[in-house]
Amino acid sequence: MKPAPFTYHAPEDAVEAVGLLAALGEEAKVIAGGQSLVPMLALRLAVFDHLVDLRRLTELRGVERRGTGLWIGAATTQAEVQRSAEVVRNVPLLARATPLIGHFQIRNRGTVGGSIAHADAAAEYPAVALALDAELETVSPRGWRTLPAAGFFTGMWSTALAPDELLTGITFPVRRPRSGFAVEEFARRSGDFAIAGAAVSVELDAGGRIHRCAIGLFGLGPTPLRASSAEKALAGRGADELPPGEVGRIALSEPESVPSDLHASADYRRHVGAVMVARAWQRAVKEANDA
Amino acid sequence: MPDVEVRMRVNGMARRATVPPRLTLADYLREHCGLTGTHLGCEHGVCGSCTVLLDGEAVRSCLMFAVQADGAEITTVEGIASPDGGLSPVQSAFRDHHGLQCGFCTPGLIVSVTAFLRDHPDPTDEQIRDGLSGNLCRCTGYQGILKAVRAAADGAAAEETG
Amino acid sequence: MSAAETAPARYAGTRVPRVEDPRLLTGHGTYVDDVVRPGMLHAHFVRSPLARARIEGIDVTEALAVEGVHAVFTAEDLNPGVREQWYTLVGRDVPDTPRPPLAEGEVRFVGDPVALVVAADRYIAEDAAELVVVDYEPLPPVVDYATAREAAELVHAEYPRNVAGEMAGLPVEELAPVFDEAAFTVRETIHQQAYAAVPIETRGLVAEWSASTGEMTIWAATQSPHEVRLFCARLLGLDEHRVRVVMRDTGGGFGQKVMPQREDMCVMLASRKVRGPLKWIEDRRENLLSAGQARHEHADARMAFDADGSILAAAIDYVQDVGAYPIPWPVQTLPVVGLLFPGPYRVPQGTFATTAVFSNTVGRTAYRGPWQFESVAREVLLDIAARDMGMDPVELRRRNLLRRDELPLVNPCGMPYSDITPLETFEQALEMLDYGAFRREQERARAEGRFLGVGTCTYVEPTTGVMPLYATEGATIRIEPSGKVNVYVAGGSSGNSIETTVVQLTADALGVNIEDVNTIQGDTAITPFGGGTGGSRSGSMTAGAIAETASVLRERITAIAAHRLGVSAEDVELADGQARVPDKPEAVLSLAEVAATAYFQPENLPPGVQPGLEASGRYRARAPMIWANATHLCTCEVDVTTGEVKLLRHIVSEDCGPMINPSVVEGQIAGGTVQGIGGVLYEHLAYDEEGNPIATTFMDYLLPTSTEVPVIEYGHVETPGPGPGGYKGVGEGGAIGAPPAVVNAVADALAPFGAKITRLPVTPESIVTLVRRARTRGTVTG
Repeated sequence: MKPAPFTYHAPEDAVEAVGLLAALGEEAKVIAGGQSLVPMLALRLAVFDHLVDLRRLTELRGVERRGTGLWIGAATTQAEVQRSAEVVRNVPLLARATPLIGHFQIRNRGTVGGSIAHADAAAEYPAVALALDAELETVSPRGWRTLPAAGFFTGMWSTALAPDELLTGITFPVRRPRSGFAVEEFARRSGDFAIAGAAVSVELDAGGRIHRCAIGLFGLGPTPLRASSAEKALAGRGADELPPGEVGRIALSEPESVPSDLHASADYRRHVGAVMVARAWQRAVKEANDA
Repeated sequence: MPDVEVRMRVNGMARRATVPPRLTLADYLREHCGLTGTHLGCEHGVCGSCTVLLDGEAVRSCLMFAVQADGAEITTVEGIASPDGGLSPVQSAFRDHHGLQCGFCTPGLIVSVTAFLRDHPDPTDEQIRDGLSGNLCRCTGYQGILKAVRAAADGAAAEETG
Repeated sequence: MSAAETAPARYAGTRVPRVEDPRLLTGHGTYVDDVVRPGMLHAHFVRSPLARARIEGIDVTEALAVEGVHAVFTAEDLNPGVREQWYTLVGRDVPDTPRPPLAEGEVRFVGDPVALVVAADRYIAEDAAELVVVDYEPLPPVVDYATAREAAELVHAEYPRNVAGEMAGLPVEELAPVFDEAAFTVRETIHQQAYAAVPIETRGLVAEWSASTGEMTIWAATQSPHEVRLFCARLLGLDEHRVRVVMRDTGGGFGQKVMPQREDMCVMLASRKVRGPLKWIEDRRENLLSAGQARHEHADARMAFDADGSILAAAIDYVQDVGAYPIPWPVQTLPVVGLLFPGPYRVPQGTFATTAVFSNTVGRTAYRGPWQFESVAREVLLDIAARDMGMDPVELRRRNLLRRDELPLVNPCGMPYSDITPLETFEQALEMLDYGAFRREQERARAEGRFLGVGTCTYVEPTTGVMPLYATEGATIRIEPSGKVNVYVAGGSSGNSIETTVVQLTADALGVNIEDVNTIQGDTAITPFGGGTGGSRSGSMTAGAIAETASVLRERITAIAAHRLGVSAEDVELADGQARVPDKPEAVLSLAEVAATAYFQPENLPPGVQPGLEASGRYRARAPMIWANATHLCTCEVDVTTGEVKLLRHIVSEDCGPMINPSVVEGQIAGGTVQGIGGVLYEHLAYDEEGNPIATTFMDYLLPTSTEVPVIEYGHVETPGPGPGGYKGVGEGGAIGAPPAVVNAVADALAPFGAKITRLPVTPESIVTLVRRARTRGTVTG
């Protein structure tokens, strides 16, 4: 189980990196923490002639308050996120999702940007980015741009990133008063990719009604999903008006192509997904009510 | 596919080699450095047998290329005991509590637990279980390992307060 | 009375720290992948991507052209080199199933080795393997063994109906009157999924052929270096003493490494055709593709009871999947499932039919408690019967478990039980739990909508069985001139702590300090012949070998010391590394002094005593098998919404006789138990309908981790067995007893739903489905 040969590049900065990507074309792949990519290379499920390593790109690391958002460099490791007091304080949903990723040895290498750009539909971070309406900052030879998380995940392991475009940072909105967050997932064993999971954020208005809410789903489609119709059904209603089980049911009536595999059929995923939504919703609402 | 030069410190010793970029850190340590204590149990990042410390942090050496560790400080299981062979507190606890049988997963566990206890000097039982969950063992049913980590933590805590 | 029998045990029975540990803890073990030889080459297999296909042609041109590639072998290169191919464990004269080194003409499962690439390193070998072009003509595969007897296609043309073998007792019709007239009968078809040994170290070997001397040296990951040597010598037509097999550390075997497999054959054959030692290290995907499955089986099991719940008869019709290339011949152990189905219960009448069926999937290999299904079928059936009869399953078992005063006893299928304590272990486990309290807690929890369950399994197990390879075990003890002791046994560390066991037993047998004993194992050139680790035999057989050998040396030491001290031999005691006379403090000689006499002053030896302190002895098993028994008891909580099972407590009360080292015993039990838990809840070596394996990585083949397992609690009942020290085997039992206890615990938790579990694995999804069905039926009670 050894990877096929490749040429290795370790550019000094992001502009050089995207220059390389543009020059090398489709035969090149970005490697950050490599915790998803290297297994695929070892199994030769993926073969690239060139790997462009981000390890020298210190500009892609760090956690910074930027306006009403918290910017996290794409190459920041999940372990750094887990240790960050800023993240715990300002983006609780991200903080709570982090320990669910793999095991601590994986989080020591795995990066925020790598997880989001890899876009595994069963992973936690893409769903969190989607649920929080994070902004994704990218660079390519054509310059810098910012993409909304909505629309970023275009298919199984595919994103709106151009082949020569690099995710450089993610800005998560800082939590607001009277808001609550919860992530719930069901996995066969701790640390496994979720069979189904939900990342929920909810914000109440002064009257205790739902001002806005977001339900991110993972493991329940070819991409992470938002349960938009459930969100719409909830908006403006009393926080306790809809029973959590009903929220779960509505949320899981939406996904159209729920995956089926050795570990769970589509039916079961839908069922347990609804349970996860219900549990996350209940906890998030409670936190918002208590806030 | 040109070879690349890598330099790193492994268990305190400066190493320099020219290697193919696709050489994993695990294979580099085993084959180029002769440090065969780092074991390969799955080569896709699940079993944890190949865990080493990279600048102090526990990582899977099968999920890195040697070239990515250029400039890093690596500690393998061979670097955990004292040079005269004296076992570390974690290693001693594993021996005292029957925390190993065939010993194949053991190096990864020793390295992982060493890092885990450094970061969680006073862990709960649940934290210990969670901290161990990235290392597969097929012999012990984890019973001796759980006891060993508890004892190592308690021993270290006792030393702190004592 | 010989001195060997009078030595008081200082170390046996105690938690002696393991002698294996210092090297293994510091990364200084020597596993096969750690072996590096000058000029070593690396092998990698090209494997079939199809479950069944005709090989129309193989083009190796492109692969051979890769820089660093030394050779690419196909069946026509290697297979004709086979001289004889059979396992000592099974014997030559059995109707063995086919076992070609490389696939010849037809591939029969996904992963079937088709070609072998030899290159300067593994990376290059894998590059070249991708360039080997195999022209396959796909054939319809026989994927499902359960329907294979009716399939139009044959896995092996020479086996009609895809049947590899059948063994049966009395026709079940003869028991029909009992079943017809019984007050109560239960009958279920119970299915178990394929799972496997999955040692964390995969398989592997290094074969170094010396053409000039005609010698073969093999370093192997094996449970039995001597079987590897015998096998290799026969395979290649070499004299046995020209083959040397070395293993220092093996990273777990659990049955998978008892015998060389097809890949090992290929590497042995290929090593004679390449210039340089040849290494093959299986990777994890190969291990899950090709190292073998176990446990894939089902049975139509039934029991008849009288009105009080006493068992009247038991019958099982059992079918196992042996895949395409089982190792070893599966028919030899096939009937054991039937023979043991009555288990530790009073069963007046019983019979069985057993069938081994081929399929186009990976071959069945030995795995820890290979006949474990007898317990799964029986214990699951008993719980179902109890629920149907409205009886507590514990009461049903109490009524039927064998009592000590009924033993020895021959079960209705002819198995001669002795020295077992099923009822005692059962009661001990219940007491450790406080069964009554648990039932009350369960009631309270149910009232709150939480579902707790308790399940048990009581089994008997023949350990240390005498098969040809396993009938004897040897030991050589060499007391050096310094008085330090080296003990040589076949052994080899594979997770069973055999080095520690040997050192403990030898120190006791010679009355020396344990630090003064060293053991040398796992090298066929220097250790006596021995069968290796398998069949829960190492403890008893090695104890016998050491006792035989040490008694010779004790006698000699005593004679020399008595002569030198001027006392009679009966007055000399050996202890603390000394030969001494208990009441005379001045009459003492160190073992070093005795050794010096034995080696360097032959003139001071008493008449008739041999010089030197080196002896070899061989133990012959006294009984055809040594029975061990245990009860597993498991409690769990089931989240009926998600189907998640949380195991709460797992209690094992066993009778393995006196324990040589309680830590080792507990470690074996815990390891086996967690494999059993994995088998019920997580592990599944699954195939899709086309015969494609779908659990070929550790992302899909789910081994239990530290977060899935409960604390395991141990109870011990001690009845000596008919062997040295009274020791019984304990290596396999955990993997036998745990699965039924876990299944029964989950089923008990789901009892209010009227759910019955007859199909493994028990996944969250299967639980939710059971609960849903019950809710649809409206059968929820309690």
